[in-house]
Amino acid sequence: MIYDISHKTLYRYSAPVSQSHHIMHMSPRAFERQVVLRHSLLIEPAPTSCIEAADYFGNPTSRLCIEDEHSELVIHARSTIKVAARPLVDLDDSQDWQQLAPGLADASAPLDLQVLQFTWPSRHTMPTTEIIDYASASLQPGQPVLAAAWDLTRRMFKDFTFDSSATDVSTPISTVLKQRRGVCQDFSHLALACLRAARIPARYVSGYLLTRPPAGQQKLRGADASHAWISVWAPETGWVDFDPTNGSMPQTEHISIAFGRDYDDVSPISGVLLGGGRHTVSVAVDVAERA
Amino acid sequence: MKTNVQSTHAERPNLISRYVPPAGVHDEMMNVDGTVRPHWQPVLNALAAFDPMERSVRADRMNRRVRETGIAHDMFADPSRMGQPWRVDLMPLLISADEWQWLERALVQRARLMNAILTDIYGEQKLLASGRIPPGLVFSDPSFLRAARDILPTGGMLQFFATDLARGADGAWRVIDSHTETPAGIGLVLANRGVHTHVAGEVFAASNAQRLASFFRDVQASLAQRCGRADPRIALLTPGPHHEDYFSHAYLARYLGLILVEGGDLQITGDQVMLKTLEGLQPIDLIVRCIEGALSDPLELDPSGFLGPVGLTQAARAHPDRVVNALGSALVENRGLGRYLPDISKALLGEDLMLHDAPRWWLGDPTANDYAIQHIDQLVIRPAHEATGRPGRASLGRMSNVLTPQQRTDLIRDIKLNGQTLVAEEKIGFGTSPVWTPEGLLPRPFAIRLFASAARDGYRVMPGGIAMTVNPDRAVGLNAPDGETRDVWVLSDAAEPPHVSLWRPTVDTAHVQRAQRVLQSRVADDLFWLGRYAERADWTMRVARSSVVRQQEDASQDVSQRAAIVCLQTLLAKDPKAALAASRAITPLQANQNSAAYMSRLLMSAAGGSHSLHHTCDALHRVAGLTRDRLSLEVSRTLNALGPQSAWRDRLALAPAGELMDRLDEGLLAIAGFYGLMHENMTRNSGWAFLDMGRRLERGLNLCEAITPLFGRTTDADDEMHSLMFLLEVADSFITYRSRYRLDPMLPLVLDLLLIDETNPRSLAFQLSSLSGHLSQLPLSRSGANLPEEQRILVALLSSIRLADVQALAAANERHERPNLVSAMTEQAEKLPELSNAIMRHYFNLKEELPHRVHTRS
Repeated sequence: MIYDISHKTLYRYSAPVSQSHHIMHMSPRAFERQVVLRHSLLIEPAPTSCIEAADYFGNPTSRLCIEDEHSELVIHARSTIKVAARPLVDLDDSQDWQQLAPGLADASAPLDLQVLQFTWPSRHTMPTTEIIDYASASLQPGQPVLAAAWDLTRRMFKDFTFDSSATDVSTPISTVLKQRRGVCQDFSHLALACLRAARIPARYVSGYLLTRPPAGQQKLRGADASHAWISVWAPETGWVDFDPTNGSMPQTEHISIAFGRDYDDVSPISGVLLGGGRHTVSVAVDVAERA
Repeated sequence: MKTNVQSTHAERPNLISRYVPPAGVHDEMMNVDGTVRPHWQPVLNALAAFDPMERSVRADRMNRRVRETGIAHDMFADPSRMGQPWRVDLMPLLISADEWQWLERALVQRARLMNAILTDIYGEQKLLASGRIPPGLVFSDPSFLRAARDILPTGGMLQFFATDLARGADGAWRVIDSHTETPAGIGLVLANRGVHTHVAGEVFAASNAQRLASFFRDVQASLAQRCGRADPRIALLTPGPHHEDYFSHAYLARYLGLILVEGGDLQITGDQVMLKTLEGLQPIDLIVRCIEGALSDPLELDPSGFLGPVGLTQAARAHPDRVVNALGSALVENRGLGRYLPDISKALLGEDLMLHDAPRWWLGDPTANDYAIQHIDQLVIRPAHEATGRPGRASLGRMSNVLTPQQRTDLIRDIKLNGQTLVAEEKIGFGTSPVWTPEGLLPRPFAIRLFASAARDGYRVMPGGIAMTVNPDRAVGLNAPDGETRDVWVLSDAAEPPHVSLWRPTVDTAHVQRAQRVLQSRVADDLFWLGRYAERADWTMRVARSSVVRQQEDASQDVSQRAAIVCLQTLLAKDPKAALAASRAITPLQANQNSAAYMSRLLMSAAGGSHSLHHTCDALHRVAGLTRDRLSLEVSRTLNALGPQSAWRDRLALAPAGELMDRLDEGLLAIAGFYGLMHENMTRNSGWAFLDMGRRLERGLNLCEAITPLFGRTTDADDEMHSLMFLLEVADSFITYRSRYRLDPMLPLVLDLLLIDETNPRSLAFQLSSLSGHLSQLPLSRSGANLPEEQRILVALLSSIRLADVQALAAANERHERPNLVSAMTEQAEKLPELSNAIMRHYFNLKEELPHRVHTRS
């Protein structure tokens, strides 16, 4: 599959901004089954400096600073991405989740830090007793790790309702669990907390999701959105994606931008401003499938 | 006579007659057989030379000095906040030269080891890949700053290193905490030493202990070396006056000649660190970081942390040597590390670890976690990582024998849920060392903090430190809530070199090579207001004093009190009536709300309001606190006499009329002392200009505001004469007038003296012309072809007063009005606040808001 993606963000400020700094995760990451064919980033007003470098997790980032006074900021990322389907995974043919930890610490080989770093809780994925209780139904003794992750994904899809008014960025996952409502970030954080409390390596994936219009209708421009899901590690397969919001295993309709421990590591745009007063933001995402 | 002397001698308690260390515990001073270790003898002899009374006096003076210096209770802190107890014992802790040699090597080794661990973790991470450090310990520690990966200063990750040590029962030193985030209270050692030698210098002299100055010169040289250029500009970045370690930061900055800055004083431009000064943005060569690493940059680190400038991480990435300690350095404070250090020391340094940690287990390890839950009743559970910059503040931790059943259940749940953030510890006990009491020396359990710094060739350990008394039943770390400290003296085998001038609390230091000082815009702002509040307090007290005098000495109240009432009303009218709640001090006799007695009481005792004396003194105290690194100790002490909760303030509200005069005189004397000290000690730089401008502006404004209601209309001759005398008195120009005219006061002559005469330091013209002088000397005084706004206002005010004709001003029309005087004074009284605003706009960046965050969410 090849996709043309346009991700445009417009900030409007009620008062002039005298200096702004932003960090962005807007350039999709290349990895085994994803090739970046083209990527461009347009910023208006033109930044005083823009540094592109990989972050700690290897994700492409841009750090920009604008020192000219401005009351509007446009960030427009356009990418052409080729996504390959993942080979079929036999969920039951993965290691017992309880045996993972010793398996990771094979005394003879160097530890795989790229995997291990995702086994510990982070700011948004701290466990509670209730979270562990919720997870326990999916983490039966002897259960293969990927089967457990899939069971959790399905249960969450069944138990939780997508509701963008129920939470905001500061809502803790204990509340999400209690009210059984939230958005893709919340569900991903909660799933990660469930898995990491059991020391199962699991990471947060930020990306895009191709949406299809209802039958017979035209697809609306700008109607696609950023999305978030998780990826779980098993020694047999490496990282395998699960989408608790949609109860699915992503194949070719999920386009990854960045991996991290949670939203804070990979937030698409985060900025610090001097001045600016109140601000409004509008985001338009289009994911177009090439014929 | 003779018998008396003898009996005093007979009663003199032997210093050590009651000194009995507990059995089985290592004592610093006394051997098991009860003999005194020889290296303590000279100090004991020096103390024995004082008679018991003298020792008590010295011990008291020491703690008075502690209070006055502000170590104990920050004298500028919010009075409602609890002070941090801090006491300095007359008895120091002595470390023999032999022991020190070992400790010094052991500390240098540890500093090198910690530096090597940080270099690895922020670099190749071989220690994690090999499992020498459990990766989860690092990955779970919030002070591991991923964004700081690969920011590796060539001068090493650690400039400053401190460690807390306890002596186990076996006599071996154990590390109970490491401090690698900030200099961790190094300024307090200087302050303690200053206090001790100030009060009991002869004891120190008798000890042949090493002095601290040469260590700090090495620190200075090493900081300068990191900058790689001569005459570098180095900033000490503090969280600000509200922080519990601010005293230590300010003290260290002043000692080393560093610029004390807060995050808001800095700005990152490109990848350069810039300081906002009166001269515009000026580059900074090095930041000595006294703020938590995670809170140093809201852009790339903890998004809630605004203590550093936005973009600091990127600046450090471009110039890794620009920030010490390096960002993320706190990681090796993790208490879970101790167990792995012997192995790491072999691997990284090829050396056996000399100094071991107290027994601890990181509970992210599944085996340790199970063990801790099973043996919960023998262990203390504490956070693996806690910020404990101020000595004595380490947490006690949770011990199941002091927990309720519910707390015990919660503890076990926490261990199961978040063991990776906890350690379990065994109590090791603490050795004892002597403290002084009026009954003689007594043994007390203690722990010490020692400090090291990078120097030209490797690390150097400060020959000194802080010892604190701990409670061995509860503490596992340096927990000393009572703040009982002892200065640590490191004895020397060699003869100590003669006294090198240690920093003394006066304006400038002689031995420090300091870069030309720059003035932060924020500090200029604070100094300006320091001047305004000091003058406002002065004027308010003068008005009050002159009114109170008249209440006492004059029987014919109606006439003589009009001026007092008018001036008091003018001051009281600056606040809404409701703000000035009448205080308990107002007696029924003074209840007539229109009497001078009532109003002067109200002005002095009202708690609320923005111009009441209490409020003015509070504001004065607050800005003095904000500028304290620019003020000498004497200045601080002088102003502290007027501070909230001072005895002076207490008495002021309650004093009967007679005493009130004395209190007001004292207050005025304190302000005069403040002016005198500033005038004599402050270098005539921009800082002085702003202080003096604040004072001049306030003085001019008060004068103009008093003249209109006093003389805007004519009254009978007697009354006017009384008013003129009142004003001359308040404006402190009575003697000048008398020496000049030998006449009863007449309006035109008084107006000439108080408004137009530029030689009278109390006149309006003098204030305006001083302001003009300052403004024209300031940097940025001319930007472009036009005069800046504040200079234009000032030119107008000054010419209008210079061109004024006193006879015309004094002239009255047929409606008994003096329109010329009123309009002249109104113009001044309206324009002076505009002038103040214009100065603030030009120099203090008022428009600038605090940075804030935005982010998107889908």
